[in-house]
Amino acid sequence: MLRKPSRLSFYFDPFTVAVTVLPVALFALLLIAPLASVIYVASLYNPAYLLSDPTYFDLKPKGEFLTATAITFRGRQVTVVRVSGVSFSAVVNSLLNGLTVTVVASAIGVAVAFAFARYDFRGKHVLRILATVPLLQTPFINSFVIKKLFDWRDGILSWFICDVLGLPIRIGVTGLAGVAVAQIMTFYPIVYLNVYASMVNIDPSLEEQAENLGARGLRLFRTVTLPLSLPGLAAGAALVFIFSLEDVAAPIVFNEHRLISYQVFNRFIEATTGQLSPAAAQLAVILLALSLAVFAAIRKYVTLRQYAMLSRGGRWKPRVGKLGLRGKLAVYLALAPLLLFSAFPQLAVFTYAFAERWTGPLPEGFTLEHLGSMVSDPIVFRAILNSLTYSLLAIFLIAFLGISVPYAIARFRKLELLDLLATSPIAIPGLVVAVGYFYFFSSSFRGTILDPISSGPPALIVLAYAIRRLPFTARAVFAGLQQVHVALEEASLNLGAGRFRTLVNIVIPLIGLSLLSGIMVSFVYCMSETSTSVTLGGLGGMGEGHSAPITYVMMDYLVRVRGPYIVASLGALLITAQLLVITIVNVVFKQRYAYIGV
Amino acid sequence: MTRVDLKGVTKRFENVVAADNVTLSVEHGELFTLLGPSGCGKTTTLRIVAGFELPDSGSVAFDGEDVTYKKPFERGCAMVFQNYALWPHMTVFENVAYGLKVRGVASNDVKRRVREVLKLVGLEGLENRYPLQLSGGQQQRVALARALVVEPRVLLMDEPLSNLDAKLRLRMREELKRLQKRLGITTIYVTHDQEEAMSISDRVGIMNRGRVLQVGTPVEVYFKPSSLFIATFIGRGSLLRGWVDRRQGERVRLVTGNGLQLEGVAVGGVEGEAVAVLRPEDFSLTPIPGANQVEGTVELVMFLGVHKQLRVNANGDRVIAYVDPEEKIREGAPIKLYIRSEDVKVYPARGWEELEFE
Repeated sequence: MLRKPSRLSFYFDPFTVAVTVLPVALFALLLIAPLASVIYVASLYNPAYLLSDPTYFDLKPKGEFLTATAITFRGRQVTVVRVSGVSFSAVVNSLLNGLTVTVVASAIGVAVAFAFARYDFRGKHVLRILATVPLLQTPFINSFVIKKLFDWRDGILSWFICDVLGLPIRIGVTGLAGVAVAQIMTFYPIVYLNVYASMVNIDPSLEEQAENLGARGLRLFRTVTLPLSLPGLAAGAALVFIFSLEDVAAPIVFNEHRLISYQVFNRFIEATTGQLSPAAAQLAVILLALSLAVFAAIRKYVTLRQYAMLSRGGRWKPRVGKLGLRGKLAVYLALAPLLLFSAFPQLAVFTYAFAERWTGPLPEGFTLEHLGSMVSDPIVFRAILNSLTYSLLAIFLIAFLGISVPYAIARFRKLELLDLLATSPIAIPGLVVAVGYFYFFSSSFRGTILDPISSGPPALIVLAYAIRRLPFTARAVFAGLQQVHVALEEASLNLGAGRFRTLVNIVIPLIGLSLLSGIMVSFVYCMSETSTSVTLGGLGGMGEGHSAPITYVMMDYLVRVRGPYIVASLGALLITAQLLVITIVNVVFKQRYAYIGV
Repeated sequence: MTRVDLKGVTKRFENVVAADNVTLSVEHGELFTLLGPSGCGKTTTLRIVAGFELPDSGSVAFDGEDVTYKKPFERGCAMVFQNYALWPHMTVFENVAYGLKVRGVASNDVKRRVREVLKLVGLEGLENRYPLQLSGGQQQRVALARALVVEPRVLLMDEPLSNLDAKLRLRMREELKRLQKRLGITTIYVTHDQEEAMSISDRVGIMNRGRVLQVGTPVEVYFKPSSLFIATFIGRGSLLRGWVDRRQGERVRLVTGNGLQLEGVAVGGVEGEAVAVLRPEDFSLTPIPGANQVEGTVELVMFLGVHKQLRVNANGDRVIAYVDPEEKIREGAPIKLYIRSEDVKVYPARGWEELEFE
């Protein structure tokens, strides 16, 4: 076909269309339309329905924050201190819980970041590794370990205080307080890493100047260091708030129904009948509004693109000092135990995976049986295969969008919309995506493979994984592209190679490592994806030949079936995969980025 | 061999007019240079010829065929980039062979032609090196070989020598000119270095603020600059601002604020406020009958090798003059300089604002 060249054909050749229009169409289908259906369905029902139901909305506090009762336990007089938190109603609880978790996680994160960024001390390397351990995703089982840690009967904390130290006190943390503690322990490293990155990027002369003018210690920190670290703090805190809001694992493990996330999850259990209660839509709208509000609020400090990944910095030779006596005491008596404590769940997951029994305070025996059951238990094995299949399929879509979108943004001007679409999934709660997919695809694609009611959830899970885990690849490719001078491509075009050939021969080889790193990170985080997995994942039902992914089965086994051992084996599997990818990306590929993939 | 015609080419970026109604023709086998200060639009014009930018209006034609909307890979141009743009993941051979492979040339022919062109640019034996293992000069040659091997209709060169050190630049300049003449490829060359432009070009187009101000041979633009901007951009010159108090055809008399009177030649419609441009090499220490006389004090003497440079203060007007390096002249001494009236070019003062002073 011979076309007369024109202005239009210059801009809209098939390649350009493929890397701009096609992604926009995919985002419209896989992100915008589902979110719009959530809002649409929510708007069909009177909000009074939600607001008048005290399960969802009520301002009266219920329960005692803390109770202390003296009882005889295993032949001893002890005081049992139970912390369970005060409940209002799902919406209020979620908000309060999110705020509490954000504030406490931020305080810990800033302190840890400051210690690591500004001081040198013995054991710093080990502690720095410990501080990132909670980022290894082990859905459900880590919350289970935390619950176990704070169990007043057989918990390790109570065992240590009462049986080892001999004090007549046993401590139990349950309910909302348990959820908050579990989330703080899991999420504070997000703040730590972001603030740390900010702090090592501060020009040392700025602090020196302040010192020169007489500011020292806490004053220096308050007036110079902290304000300059605000972008990192804002980014970290925003992520923690959103992750806390949409976290469904801790509420399920602590059996805490009085949170939005649990309620949405609960509506999905009923949805196997083919109906999803409109309450789910209204709750999802609240989640979405809160998340977006947080981003609108901190936009001054950070752009969305920064979230998926953060540079480790290192332009300067950072100011690192020695600790005084008080500093040493703080690090070794407070920081080190805290970090050890927060890394405990991940370490305990491995212990559970290999322990014969762990019902009392300490594990007993050693067995490989649980690891073996991952293969011998057909339900579990099936789940592993499902997750691998879903993640691999999602990777194809991620690779397409992860190359085309950053390429289009980097090479054609004025594509902020595409940029926003590609990075926004990091800020959109997975539960909202799940609710949106259910409504949108069960109505607009009724009877097709995309309809979760007639075809089960596999196709939807693949699409949800792809959209939710895209930012990791997109961000890595974008960073890689910034290293590739546009003249390298022009030289190829100029010598007669078309745009596609140029992409394959020149661009992809040059960004190869970034792309591969991004894809590997996206892949492992697909494997451990939780919120859409445990909602959409259950729509196909359980049993032989089920279509649920790993995380759904982890939840199902932990809650319904039997002990945590096989779940811990799956957790250990996920951790191993993540460690492998992190090692390859950082050590082999030498990509200087830290990924945050909660 | 191809003739290139640009007609009314205009390109805006945001609020900047990068190319403003650019019209010019490059003849078969000619080496044509776009010369101008940075930001003058010369690179944009080159990129429009290459097809990397689409002009807002106007057209580009190769041998009369409109190529304005053709994509870069359909034009048969080859470009040598300022930073060479060698692909770091390919060897010298693969870099040079790329254009041939894209054109589907048989692999035996590819090998032969790559070997030939590498010999032409003096890089035999380096086929298997990677770009990062080469010196700057060698990289430059690879970039040139990569462009030449496809036998382009038009060769485009964007400041190809600016990343080389001074000595190598002079050598490559000669080599480029030799190769271009030998191969007879129509070439558009972009540079901000007026000496480079003068030395290698058949013709030069001088650009400023997106417009082509003058097109001509190096000799023409050097001796007959058509505007004050060109007169100061090409070569050196002392500028004296004053008023034209007498005019007879082309001949004018300019009187500066300090009372210096100069007979000169008007370029353009000169009346009232005007600027005279005096080239340092046009001054003479020996009297010339009928020539202008500039009397003053030597403020500064600098030995530059081929000549001595004097800064002379003539009653408040300062001029720079080159004299024989063996003249014994002391700073502070009185001096008389002579300059022919046909060497004094007088321009309207309107262009003054466009000038960038050091």
